[in-house]
Amino acid sequence: MLSLSLAAWGVPRGEAAVPALYTAAQARAGHRAYEHHCAACHGRQEQGLVGPALSGPIFASPKANYKVRDIYLFLSVNMPAYAPGSLTPKQYVDIMSFLLQQNGFPAGRTALTHSMASTSAVPLLYHGPRPPTRHARAGGGCGARPSVPRSGAPAASPHCEALVGALPGARTDPPAD
Amino acid sequence: MTTIHALSHRVRRASAAGLLVALAFSGVARAGGYPTVTDARLAAAATDNGWLMFRRDYAGNSFAPFTQINTHTVKNLHLVWSYRSHLKQGYESTPMVNGQYMFITTPKDHLIALNAVTGKVLWKYVRPMPGVGFKTVCCDVVNRGVALYGDDVYMATLDNYVVALNAISGKVVWQRQLKPADVGYAMTLAPMILKGMVIVGESGGEYGARDFIQALNARTGALLWRRWTTPAPGHLGANTWPKGMYKHGGGSAWITGTYDPSTDTLFWGVGNPAPWLAKLRPGLNLFTDSLLALHPRSGKIKWYYQYTPNDSWDYDGVNTPVITTLRYHGTTYRAIVHADRNGWFYAINRVNGKLIYARQFTRATSVEGFKNGLPYTNNALRPAMNKQVFTCPSFLGGKNWWPISVDPVTHLAYVPTIHTCMTMKGAPTFYHPGLPYLGESFEVVHDPADHHWGALQAIDLDTGRQVWDHESDLPWDAGAMSTAGGVVFSGSARGHLYAFDARTGAVLWRSPQLSSGVIAPPSTFMVNGKQYVAILAGWGGGTPIWGGKMVPVVKNIPRGGHLYVFALR
Ligand code: HEC
Repeated sequence: MLSLSLAAWGVPRGEAAVPALYTAAQARAGHRAYEHHCAACHGRQEQGLVGPALSGPIFASPKANYKVRDIYLFLSVNMPAYAPGSLTPKQYVDIMSFLLQQNGFPAGRTALTHSMASTSAVPLLYHGPRPPTRHARAGGGCGARPSVPRSGAPAASPHCEALVGALPGARTDPPAD
Repeated sequence: MTTIHALSHRVRRASAAGLLVALAFSGVARAGGYPTVTDARLAAAATDNGWLMFRRDYAGNSFAPFTQINTHTVKNLHLVWSYRSHLKQGYESTPMVNGQYMFITTPKDHLIALNAVTGKVLWKYVRPMPGVGFKTVCCDVVNRGVALYGDDVYMATLDNYVVALNAISGKVVWQRQLKPADVGYAMTLAPMILKGMVIVGESGGEYGARDFIQALNARTGALLWRRWTTPAPGHLGANTWPKGMYKHGGGSAWITGTYDPSTDTLFWGVGNPAPWLAKLRPGLNLFTDSLLALHPRSGKIKWYYQYTPNDSWDYDGVNTPVITTLRYHGTTYRAIVHADRNGWFYAINRVNGKLIYARQFTRATSVEGFKNGLPYTNNALRPAMNKQVFTCPSFLGGKNWWPISVDPVTHLAYVPTIHTCMTMKGAPTFYHPGLPYLGESFEVVHDPADHHWGALQAIDLDTGRQVWDHESDLPWDAGAMSTAGGVVFSGSARGHLYAFDARTGAVLWRSPQLSSGVIAPPSTFMVNGKQYVAILAGWGGGTPIWGGKMVPVVKNIPRGGHLYVFALR
C-alpha cells in the first residue's frame, strides 16, 4: 500500500521502498535553517568542511548503518556544535526534513514530527539526487555534489568558496592582541 | 627596554649551562643532500641545527640553543619566503627541518617537502582517502606534523594509517592502518621516533572509541606493542570502570609524548573518558585524563598520575608532559611539568609519579584542590540530566593542546592560555559507531572575572607562579617556542608572529599581519650559519567549532594556510 500511495504522488517506480517522511514545505524551511545554523561547518552543499558531509553515499552509507532516529537524536541534542540543543524542536525537525531530501528521500503529505523523527527506525541511506525544491539550488550554484565529499578543496568553484567561507574580503589591522 | 648588557648576561648563563657548546654535528650529507637521521642525532636533537621532532627534543622543551636572533637583533626579522596552501581548514603542524629539507603537513594529511632556504617545493604527498567521511574527527581535519628517521619521514593520518615515505623522493615506503576510518578513531598527532620504533596515539574520545598508544617498527611498519588506555578485566585499573564500559571508554592519546633517557621512561598523556557525562560511568575511569609512564620496549605501565578523576568536563590530559629539573621548597626534583586542560599547572616527580606541586594557571573550579598529592573535584559542579552547572575552565581548557615551551635559561615555562568557563548539562546519548557519544550539552563563555579570552603567560618552574602575562582579547591558540637568544615566539589568532622578551614578556617584535590566524607552534633552524624562524598561519581547530561565545569573536578570521619563514635582514 505504501508503494501504491507513493506512486500516486508521482514518485518514480522502483524507488517506492523509500518512504516519504516529511513535507516539501518542511524541507524548504529546513534548508533556510540549515544555511543559517549548519552550513558554515558542513558546507552549503552538505559536502563537509570542518564537520562531516551530511548528504551523499559516504554519509548515508550501509556501512555507517544509521537509522533516521540516530541522526535526529544526535543533531537535535548536540548541534550546532558551538551551541548544542539551542534551536527549537521545529527547526530541528525542519532541518532533518531537509537532510532527508538531500539524501534522496521523497517529500510526502505527512509532516515529520519530533516524536516521529526520534523513533524512526527507517535506515538513513542515500537514495541518489532528488529534484531540488523550489528554494533549493538548481544547476549553477557551487556545482554538482562532489562524488567524494570533502576531498581536496572545500568546494568545487571559487564562487562556491566565497559562499562557504563567509569571510570578509579585506582585513583591517586592529590594535595589538 | 632590553639592553646589550642584559643580552650578554643571558649568553653567559646559557654558556654556563652548556647550551652553547658547538652545535651538534648535524649528520652526514648523503645522496640528495639529505643528512640521515640517526638515533644519536635524535638523542641530541636539542642542539641539532635542524628541528628534528615535534617539540624539538625528547624532553619536549621546544627550546633552541641559537642566539643569532636575540633580544637585540630580533627587530631586524624579515620575511625570507612563504608558501601558500589552498585548503581552508586549520593548520596545526610544526615545520620540521633536517639539513635543507623542511616538511610540513596541512589539513587532510597533505605532506609537503620544501627547500628550507628557498621555499622551493621538492615533493608533495596527498593522502588518498576515497570513501572516508571524516565522521569521527571532532576538532577540524588537522595534522600536527611529521617524524623523521633514517631517510624516511612519517605521518599519522585521519584514516588511521601510519605512512613512511622516503624523505628525498616522497615515495611511500610502507603504510599500515591501525583501525578503519569513520568508526570512532582518527589520528592527528606528529609521530614519535624512539629506539627504532615509530610511536603514535589514537584520537576518538568523543565517539566512544577505546583508544591506544601504538609502537611500530620504523623500518617495516610491523606492530610491536599496543598500550590500551582503558584496561580490560584483569588488568591494572579495571575495577575503576562499571562493567564493560571500558570498551567505549575513550582515553585518546592524541598528542606526542616525551622520553626521559635517565629513567628510560616514555611519557604519554591520555584524554577524556567517554561518554562525557560521568554519572554514566562511576569510578576513577583509569587511565583517562592521566599521565602514563611507560616502559618504551613493551608499553607496560611503570606508574600513572591521574590529573582529573572521573572527569565529567572533557579535560583531556594529553598536553605535553615536559621533562625538566626544578627546585621546590629546597629540594631538587627530576620533574615533569604539564599545564592541564583542567586549569592546573602540575609538577610531578618523574622518577616515582608523586605530585610535587599543582597551581592554578587560570580559573579552575571543577578540580577544586589536592589531598595527599591527588586532585579532588567539586561534586556540586558535576552536570546531570536535569542539572546545569557553571564551571571553569570550559572543556576547551585552561589550555588546549597548544604546547608550552620550557626555557632552561630563564627557568620559565611559557604557557598559552584561554580564560573560559562553561555551562554544562546532562543530555541523552547512545553509542553508535561513527557518532559522537557525549551525553552533555554545553556552552563556552567568558571567565566572568577576566575580560580577555586568551593569554601567553610565563610560569616559574620552581614555584608554579606567574612571572609575566601577555593578555589577548582573542583566544591564544598557538604553541610556544623559546630560544637561547632570550626570545620567546608564538603566534596570535589575529595573525601576528610575536617575539617576546623571555624574561619580561615585553613585545620585542611583531610580524606584519599574516594572511590568517595562527594555531600552530613555530620552529627555528640554522642553515649555513643563518638562523630561520618558521610558522604556519591557518586559523581553525577546535575553537571556531566548539567555542560557544568565542565563535562570533573569531568568526571573521580569514581561512587558508600560509607558511612563513623569517630571518634577520
Ligand atoms: C561549528 C561547527 C558546526 C556547526 C555549526 C554544526 N556542526 Fe554538525 N558537526 C560538526 C563537527 C565537527 C562534527 C563531527 C562530529 C563531532 O565531533 O560532533 C559534526 C557532526 C554532525 C553530525 C554527525 C554526522 C556523522 O556522520 O557522524 C550531524 C548529523 C550534524 N553534525 C548535523 C549538524 C546540523 C544539523 C547542524 C545545524 C543545526 C550542525 N551540524 C551544525 C560541526 C558543526
